[in-house]
Amino acid sequence: MRMWNTVVHSWMFIAFFIGFFLFWEYAVIWFDVPRYILTPPSVIVQKGAADLDRLLYYTYVTGLETVLGYVVAIVLALPIGLAIAFSSVLRRTIYPFLVCIEMVPKIAFAPLFISWLGFGLLPKVIIVFLVCFFPIVLNAILAFNSLSEELTRFARSTGAGAWRTFVKIRLPAALPQCFVGFKYAAINATVGAAIAEFIGSDEGLGFYIQIVTGNMRPDLAFAGIFFLTLIGLCLFGVVTLAERLLIPWHISVRRKSH
Amino acid sequence: MPTLIELSGVKKVFGSGPEAVHAFGPVDMTIEDGEFISLLGPSGCGKSTLMLMIAGLLDTTEGAITLAGRRVAGPQTDIGIMFQDNTLVPWRTVRGNIDLQLEMRGIDPAERAADVEELLRSVHLEDFQARYPHELSGGMQQRAAFCQAMVHRPKTMLLDEPLGKLDAMTRENIRSDLQALWMQKRPTVVFVTHSIEEAIQLSSRVAVITPRPGRIERIIDIDLPFPRDFEVKSSAAFIGHVRETQEIFRNYGVI
Ligand SMILES: Nc1ncnc2c1ncn2[C@@H]1O[C@H](COP(=O)(O)OP(=O)(O)OP(=O)(O)O)[C@@H](O)[C@H]1O
Ligand SMILES: [Mg+2]
Repeated sequence: MRMWNTVVHSWMFIAFFIGFFLFWEYAVIWFDVPRYILTPPSVIVQKGAADLDRLLYYTYVTGLETVLGYVVAIVLALPIGLAIAFSSVLRRTIYPFLVCIEMVPKIAFAPLFISWLGFGLLPKVIIVFLVCFFPIVLNAILAFNSLSEELTRFARSTGAGAWRTFVKIRLPAALPQCFVGFKYAAINATVGAAIAEFIGSDEGLGFYIQIVTGNMRPDLAFAGIFFLTLIGLCLFGVVTLAERLLIPWHISVRRKSH
Repeated sequence: MPTLIELSGVKKVFGSGPEAVHAFGPVDMTIEDGEFISLLGPSGCGKSTLMLMIAGLLDTTEGAITLAGRRVAGPQTDIGIMFQDNTLVPWRTVRGNIDLQLEMRGIDPAERAADVEELLRSVHLEDFQARYPHELSGGMQQRAAFCQAMVHRPKTMLLDEPLGKLDAMTRENIRSDLQALWMQKRPTVVFVTHSIEEAIQLSSRVAVITPRPGRIERIIDIDLPFPRDFEVKSSAAFIGHVRETQEIFRNYGVI
């Protein structure tokens, strides 16, 4: 029964999806929308395929910026989050500072970084990093600070040292909340890369979308958006897969597998 | 019997200033080695607080506690504690959770495998050892938590409402199992409960605690033979103890 429900539900979704594109396709034709405003999906596929080489190369460029920025964010945010969670001095100094910076829209720094560091890879990686770092670090701090009182007491009652308590209890207990940050950052990583490329670059999907839009080619712009979305989806997919492998016991993972 | 735990002038106040909550005490009490003592009192009277203070997991505001002749000044690691909310972790199976107690103490679970299996059998969970806590009922979780609290063979046990989530029938079963275990190994048990009947059935002494701030109203010696089966429970002496206790709570307006 549940299987059947899942099948019906996914079919409903697919049907809606197909319906949406059919509506787009025929509405554009029916209302005679000019091609320089909006093109039907079939034309997007066709023109996109014709320009596939460029699109793929730019997907590689933007994908590299995104992944590098994201990975560096994780690598730096986790230890910093840990340090802040376990040090009361850092919690009173760096933590409020991070919370303040979190209020600043990181994207606003993009033009500055471009002007400082030029058109290359580095400023984009830094901007993706900035977009990803804060949700990861703030969720990590929350994760490592929210062990239940009962488990804290249990750990103390066993006489285990700090390291053993960390490995056996604190770390696994913190993983679900850490993944909240990882996923949020994964969704926003491509936003950072695209905007950085809008502002100053000579390659990448953001650059591509801007150029083709200027040339009145919405079909190619949509093709670029498609590949940009694909990068985001892949990143999110990898994170979700890691989540399933690392915390199969957690309720957010369990619900999906039912 | 020698004294194992001694409380002198133990008092607990949470917070300070106008918001301070006087939760417990001051109380003087001794707990003997090998006895089964129940802390019986209404919700919020400080039973869990007292238990945590004995375990060295919560500081006393005033007074001192000694355990086996030594002053309690930090977590006591050679006792078994069953906390009011169970401490099963969701990422380990029942078996893994029991092993966690051993691993935290640096004991290789493989060495104690036979112990763990016996413990699982004694609470009828042997078929569920590979299950995760979320796959168990509330009562099964409590039984798993009991195993987790006992697996390192403590001679002193602090049990905070260990049978709280069980249905009446299972509860009756586990009570007799617990009694059999106590009669056989004679650990010192401090047992927190709301149930008058349960306290009297299991204990050698019952400490009746007043509503908050908890004080020891009376300590009742339960001089009935063990095991306290159905026969004993319907005896006049047993019913007399139940009524005596009910009387105390009625005077406090709790029941
Ligand atoms: N961390 C805390 N901060 C402030 N007050 C607390 C704290 N812990 C307990 N209290 C207060 O101390 C009193 C005793 O709490 P305790 O948990 O010991 O009660 P209890 O007898 O175990 O109750 P129950 O039977 O409901 O478990 C309560 O009034 C509670 O509000
Ligand atoms: Mg309690």
